[in-house]
Amino acid sequence: MEIAFSRLDERVAKFTLIGVSTSFANMLRRAMISEVPTLAIEDVRIYDNTSVLFDEMLAHRLGLIPLRTDLKRYKPRSECTCEDAGCPVCTATYTLSVEGPKTVRSSDLIPQDPDAAPAEEGIPIIELARDQKVVLEAQAIVGTGKEHAKWQATTACGYKNYPVIAIDERCDGCGMCIDECPRNVLETAQGKVRVIEERQELCSLCRLCERACLAGGIGTEPAIHIGTDAERFIFVVEGDGSIPVREIIERALQYIQKSSDDLVDVMNEITGEGTE
Amino acid sequence: MIPVRCFTCGKVVSTAWKEFKERRDAGEDPKRILDDLGLERYCCRRMLLTHKEVVEDLNPYQ
Repeated sequence: MEIAFSRLDERVAKFTLIGVSTSFANMLRRAMISEVPTLAIEDVRIYDNTSVLFDEMLAHRLGLIPLRTDLKRYKPRSECTCEDAGCPVCTATYTLSVEGPKTVRSSDLIPQDPDAAPAEEGIPIIELARDQKVVLEAQAIVGTGKEHAKWQATTACGYKNYPVIAIDERCDGCGMCIDECPRNVLETAQGKVRVIEERQELCSLCRLCERACLAGGIGTEPAIHIGTDAERFIFVVEGDGSIPVREIIERALQYIQKSSDDLVDVMNEITGEGTE
Repeated sequence: MIPVRCFTCGKVVSTAWKEFKERRDAGEDPKRILDDLGLERYCCRRMLLTHKEVVEDLNPYQ
């Protein structure tokens, strides 16, 4: 197995995964989406709310704000020793106390732990008119995307098959496939069509070029063929800012490793192997 | 209020609303504004394009 990164930022990663099966690629995608834990506001104690939004809607909006998460610092509540009481090990606390007229933004949310501040400053929470007031206390806990999308560390996260474009010797260089290609992957060279190398990954496998080739009257078989490499996948992973994308990938892989180890242990237990 | 995140992909779109609204009201083409704001996918773009702000209409009825 091999990973080649073409882009790796705090928020976005693009990479090619080589030498794995479709099921493995999908396993990685699913683990990144639903098994990487993050912080999100779960409980809100509202002392005063005279805004136009109901308490529930306000709490929902607060929940969706991405929070910077240091996973070494926070534990999931189920693993904490406080038994659901909420302690600094498993809970991040925030206070919000504002009076209108004002647009309340995520930067008005005051975290007790500055490392768990909202990942973006300017998210509007509620617009307050004169004499309107919101006073509340919020508690964020660690959860996974499996339970609620607010705990999902990724936004766009997916893969596609690596495109393989084959052009045979029957190509007469008419250029109709070049005009048809929506991603501009093809070009002409010496009376033949060829693939622009750095644009090959952009091919969306739409096969419009195959159709254009047939429409050019070449016969029953097109001279250009779009196929896929069964063992290569192009991944795009976008984070929401709570965790760097690099850590999302690492955590997802650790999760896969742990669950397959657990499976082996359970199998051994059933068959009785390794017990003697 | 503009939804905090895109319904479909979960990208935070609400931060872009203020600038989008100001520039749209100034008569700029929404396509250009959305491109500038880095909203690439059509799911995120429709969040801003189809949003109607009603908070101010509700204010008198508190």
